[in-house]
Amino acid sequence: MRLSSLFDADSFRRNRLAYACAAGIIALALLETANALLAPLRAPTDQDWRSAATSLRAGFRPGDLIVAAPAWADPLLRMQLGDLIPVAVAGRLDAARFGRIWEISQRGAQAPESQGSRVVQSSRHGALTLRRYERPASQVSFDFVAEWNHAIVSRVAPGGQVSWCYRAPDRFDCADPPAQSVRAELLEIDTSPHLALATSLPGHATTVIEFDHVPLGRELAVGAGLHNVWLRKSGKGTVSLRVLVQGRELGRIPAGSLTGWTLRKFDTSALAGQSESVRFEITVDDPTARYFGFAAEARS
Amino acid sequence: MDQVGQPQGWRRPWIVPLALALATSGWLLAVEGSQGLARDEAQYFRAGERYWGWFEALADAVRSGKPRQAFSRAVVDSYWSDNHEHPPLMKTLYGLSWRLFHRCDCVGAKQGLHPIAVHGKHRTLPLFSRESTAFRFPAILLAGLGVALVYGFARRFVGPWAAAGAAVLSVAQPHYFFHAQISCFDAPIAVMALLVGWAYWKSLRSPRWGILCGVFYGFALATKHNAWLIPCFLVVHYLWMRRGDFTWEPSKGSQTLPRWCAAGEGARESARGGQGGLSVPKAGGLPTRFRLRPPRIPLAFVSMASLGPVVLFALWPWLWHAPVARAREWVNRHAQHEHYNFEYLGQNWNLPPPPAQAGRWLLRATFPFVSTGLTVPVTTLALAATGALVLARRRRKKGPEDEPAIVNLEPPEQGARASWLRPGADVDLAPGMFLAVQILGPLGTLALPSTPIFGGVKHFLTAMPFLAMLAGVGLAWVTRQAATLVRPTRLRQALPAALAGLLCLPAVAETQRSHPDGLGHYNLLAGGFAGGASLGMNRQFWGYSVLPLLPWIKAHRPPSNRVYWHDVLHDAVMMYVRDGRLPVGIGDVGVGESVVAQSDLGIVILEKHFAVYEYLHWEAYQTTRPAQVYAHEGVPFVVAYQRGAPPPRQEPLPP
Repeated sequence: MRLSSLFDADSFRRNRLAYACAAGIIALALLETANALLAPLRAPTDQDWRSAATSLRAGFRPGDLIVAAPAWADPLLRMQLGDLIPVAVAGRLDAARFGRIWEISQRGAQAPESQGSRVVQSSRHGALTLRRYERPASQVSFDFVAEWNHAIVSRVAPGGQVSWCYRAPDRFDCADPPAQSVRAELLEIDTSPHLALATSLPGHATTVIEFDHVPLGRELAVGAGLHNVWLRKSGKGTVSLRVLVQGRELGRIPAGSLTGWTLRKFDTSALAGQSESVRFEITVDDPTARYFGFAAEARS
Repeated sequence: MDQVGQPQGWRRPWIVPLALALATSGWLLAVEGSQGLARDEAQYFRAGERYWGWFEALADAVRSGKPRQAFSRAVVDSYWSDNHEHPPLMKTLYGLSWRLFHRCDCVGAKQGLHPIAVHGKHRTLPLFSRESTAFRFPAILLAGLGVALVYGFARRFVGPWAAAGAAVLSVAQPHYFFHAQISCFDAPIAVMALLVGWAYWKSLRSPRWGILCGVFYGFALATKHNAWLIPCFLVVHYLWMRRGDFTWEPSKGSQTLPRWCAAGEGARESARGGQGGLSVPKAGGLPTRFRLRPPRIPLAFVSMASLGPVVLFALWPWLWHAPVARAREWVNRHAQHEHYNFEYLGQNWNLPPPPAQAGRWLLRATFPFVSTGLTVPVTTLALAATGALVLARRRRKKGPEDEPAIVNLEPPEQGARASWLRPGADVDLAPGMFLAVQILGPLGTLALPSTPIFGGVKHFLTAMPFLAMLAGVGLAWVTRQAATLVRPTRLRQALPAALAGLLCLPAVAETQRSHPDGLGHYNLLAGGFAGGASLGMNRQFWGYSVLPLLPWIKAHRPPSNRVYWHDVLHDAVMMYVRDGRLPVGIGDVGVGESVVAQSDLGIVILEKHFAVYEYLHWEAYQTTRPAQVYAHEGVPFVVAYQRGAPPPRQEPLPP
């Protein structure tokens, strides 16, 4: 059978654009149907996850970081390997201290934590790819959250009166106002986990958290933000974190409902190798529904 | 087949819509059992059953010879105050359907799980083994009616196969399909908007439909408050359709202009040749004020304004004893709605942006359009875009041969004069503008900066049946193009059915693929479930997705029976128990952050703003390792934590 007996060639020549559009829609329908049928088969299976986890465990060393790419796969990753991801690692300040990073990825994604690192190991596990990255890690000389119990915590009223907060086994209790505390706590800041020094704030006073004899390195990394999605939604105030070393201000970090987790790195290279006092001063313009947290590391 | 190649069934106009409605309802009934109970839905179960309780109280009052007792404020309020922020029509139907069609397991251990007193085994027509299915049945039937309506409406513009295609495309949308199965209001109000739209359309040539339009509008008002917007969209279409009627006329009692001004106006009028706009009195100078004379108000709008509230009032006993105050409360509740939490493009939105961040507002304003572009099957979108072009070109055609795809079953009647009873008698009914306002109206409303942050396709779901009709026009155009190319008669006759099937196939396949997680489904452009998650689009809401985890929860129920259900409302847990999916007596430690630590087994629904609840489990259970995860195509939806699961090896942080 000749093609011309099936199709009107004259009509085709007159309306090429229209026919191309119609053919395009039909082709799109075929493509979309095929994708709908085949795409589910591309998803990683439980077996893929188990296989990748087994390989990872074989090479895991204490202190390694494990991440999922894209990040939304993290619950599946933790179901397989959550015992290797303690709360302190999940709620990290950032990934700078980790020299070895394991990444289980799918669909060609790469985690932000591993970007700029060198791939030293890679293996396929069905729809998943397991990679180990290595890079020079920051050496943390002082972790302010882990060392929370070495802090001196006080509240300073506008007139300069100081009221001290007293250390309990798991927190500092402040008397002004009563029932407020400063503690190391896992917070939800910008819908991510952050282990941080946390406190609600009195409107009238400055909360001061000071550490003496902190071994400083090249930089002081400080992350800060407001905890709890519901509080962020209902409150309006802005918290200000002032960072001082040796009484000299390095900078301020504002934290409002929409600022998320703000990470700043202050240059302390001039003081590297010295032990100095580091002071954090926290103020707020409106304390209603504000629960603030910050984490900091002195790094070399 | 008849002589023009149409199946005989087309000649009986009720057969095809009936078949479509039955097929739709059948499809929904076949799959709804794997669809978890949505949070709002569980409240409507409870309210529906309570509303039914009032009818029982009425029957009791009638039997005792005191029927007026059931209408007292105390009795009415005791039943109808529940969930009074939403009107009652669908909830009443859900309660009625439950009472008629559930398989009664209502005595014994489950007797105390009902929101109303159960005095004994119900006599019912036990169509459904699960009580939740009996509740859902009216919504499912209504979804079938919606599909039939799309077919009937689309037949005003396109042939039967294209109209059938439009009907299929209206339900074969993953998000719409999700809502069509459950006993909420979003798919029902979409059907009601379609019903009102159709009645309005027909009222343009028929006064009988003008009256029906008001009655249907009352039903829509009694379904969901989205109905408030329906007249706004119809008015835009009406004014466009009758735009030729706009005239400027002098207002009564107008004064004359000063001579110098009158001279100037007269000169300008003369320059225009005396045509258009200004009517110049022959004596006494020009009037100072002119009045814009819009088209006359049609019967449909009069009917909607009068019959609509009457029907609403009649259907809503909660209004009976304080109609004005309570109607105001209802309006204020939704006019002053709080902002929801909603994930869009990787951000959690729950606050209006400060003035300094105009860019955030612009980003938020794109939400309804981007969401539509990423959730409706791409072929449907392409067909709708084609349909829009066809309708846009329609009025610019050069001749009869240049109207390739759509038929005009309602051309202006020769010599007819328009009246308020038949306001569209003498003009083209402007189907393109009609579909445009019905589609863009709901989307545009959600994009307004003054609209609270809602999120979710459900909030503009009323646009979707009309979008499908537009796609039907596109389908007709593709069919027409193919038919002009193909020579063999038989092949040409087979084309409409073949192309309708082929072009509906991706939508049906995508919809089936998405089930039961239609809310988390994204289309080919986005990359499916995984693509939507990577784009940071909302994955779910209402806590429905726990259903696949119930067998695991049942098997791992802690000895303490302390279970944290997160966003799964207690009403939903109770309905899972009544459905036999959870054991009677399953624990529920309650809601809120403080109770997580009291639980020994807890679930977290994975929405971006719910992250805090997962971290509370990490702290309370001292592990970041979920005991179980429910995922669809590799995208997690729910995690479950279990206290006392093997403790994690505490690895020290590196120095």
